[in-house]
Amino acid sequence: MVTYARSPKASRPALAAALARAIAEAPVRRPSRCFGVFVWAVAVIMCPGHEVGAAGLLRQRQPASRTPAGRTWTVPRTPDGDPDLQGVWKYATSTPLERPTQRDCNQTIGDVRIVAPCALADKESLTEEEAAEFERRSRQGSNADRRDGNLENELFRAYNNFWYDDERVKLIKSHRTSLIVDPAHGKLPALTATAIKDAQNREAARADLARRYGENGRMDGPEDRPLSERCLSVRIPVLPAVYNNNIQIVQGQGYVVIVNEMIHDARVIPLDGQRRVGRAIRQWIGDSVGHWEGSTLVVETTNFNGKAGFRGATANMRLTERFARIDGDALRYRFTVDDPATWVRPWTAEFPMTKSTEGFFEFACHEGNYGIAGVLRGARAAESVQGAKPRP
Amino acid sequence: MPAGQGIVVGNEIPYKASALARKQANFANRFTLDPEAKCYMPGIPRATYMPFPFQIVQGTSKIMMVYEFAGANRIIHLDSVPPPPANSWMGHSTGRWDGDTLVVDVTSQVDQTWFDRAGNFHSDLLHVVERFSLPDRDHLQYDIAVEDPEVFTRPWRMAMPLYRRVEPNAVRLEFKCVEFSEELLYGHLRKKP
Repeated sequence: MVTYARSPKASRPALAAALARAIAEAPVRRPSRCFGVFVWAVAVIMCPGHEVGAAGLLRQRQPASRTPAGRTWTVPRTPDGDPDLQGVWKYATSTPLERPTQRDCNQTIGDVRIVAPCALADKESLTEEEAAEFERRSRQGSNADRRDGNLENELFRAYNNFWYDDERVKLIKSHRTSLIVDPAHGKLPALTATAIKDAQNREAARADLARRYGENGRMDGPEDRPLSERCLSVRIPVLPAVYNNNIQIVQGQGYVVIVNEMIHDARVIPLDGQRRVGRAIRQWIGDSVGHWEGSTLVVETTNFNGKAGFRGATANMRLTERFARIDGDALRYRFTVDDPATWVRPWTAEFPMTKSTEGFFEFACHEGNYGIAGVLRGARAAESVQGAKPRP
Repeated sequence: MPAGQGIVVGNEIPYKASALARKQANFANRFTLDPEAKCYMPGIPRATYMPFPFQIVQGTSKIMMVYEFAGANRIIHLDSVPPPPANSWMGHSTGRWDGDTLVVDVTSQVDQTWFDRAGNFHSDLLHVVERFSLPDRDHLQYDIAVEDPEVFTRPWRMAMPLYRRVEPNAVRLEFKCVEFSEELLYGHLRKKP
């Protein structure tokens, strides 16, 4: 006979609505490589690793309607008695990981001015009016029907609202201008002396490739291309990007599964705190173990292989993520990165995820990667008409 | 699944004549055509019985099956969900309990996955019904009903045991095979020296 035993645990204290403080975001970065690819090969490419441009947003939740004054919201429980985090959670937003500076604000690509950083530069948060204006300009900037520039501008804007999650045109609800909450200035901590040297070496190597092959770099074979073009990027920690800003959480006995729609990585996380993967085994996505602290799911990840180099981090990065229900519609996601070889101190980012009813879909990045074939084919075609060195 | 004499019930896959020719061509060119060699998500049922482990996590209204190969996974909906807007590599799985047997109905798969390394294939009309039962602690009995009117003359079945990985340090590890497939997929586009 088969039995599927369920053993309800002692119930845990309810999570007070007072915990609810929403902060969210998404990196605003130059879409440099995807852009280059478009100009070059005029190929449709998926660039999942590129946190492009200016739009994004988290669905506005309304805690007041869910949690009237004086009423305490109670965290739901699974049949095993754990806080129930199951469902599809959406984290689309335009708020960048780091707070932009005035210097970022003056960047342009082609003759397209990157407007988003200007609105956010050097402010801790935006007012209601500023946030509304930011959203208006983001929506205008990502409008696929806009025809007010030359060909280069339109190629630059190829990642437009056809691809976007519409919620991605907004800032997180708090209107904070960075996802980073610690350090308080909203930027990554200072790099260590070694990390500065490594960054200089990487930049020198990049500049050398640009000098020899043009701004788009070497295209001799797939290994020359960025991980995102090869569908090898890794989505941990979770950070908002142009599209696929969804995770699905499923909880079973002793395990939590967290699937990221981007690149369809599924983490099966044991909750007994016991690491199954040997210390010498390194993985792109690391090795995650979890435990409950009150109503918060805490996931600690080590054993990275370092190839993905999250913001320059080494393979010895230690990532601590915290998932907590804020109310019926929202989850607060908070993560701390500790990599003493790279940053002089740990840093922490935080943003809300909202419950989605839109479903969760397969992202077959590698299976549908016509982009990288187009890039390589374009490079070969360029060489055949103009010699070995591609046009920048 | 370890190697054996075959898992097809009746030992014959009932191809239509036209489809059999394609199967034979797939077999002849299997080293370059097999989606496994391209590191593509393997689809259902192949994901279950290829020589890589998978892990099952049973949630409240969803069951996750997470496969080692290519990081593939699927969500089996025990609750009511709308039909998918498009076909996908791992298809659309809905599940129900028939006594102690999990019955999973799989539709909406793309026509680009295979059943095995021998080139057995299907169209996007593939309909798979899987039955998972647990005869004892360390085995699953896995029964599969396949129908695809475009490729086969009649429905057919597969049946096999699946073996639990019982070693104390068993774990589903990461197997990102994209890098291993790039020469096959893009080698012809390399710059010639």
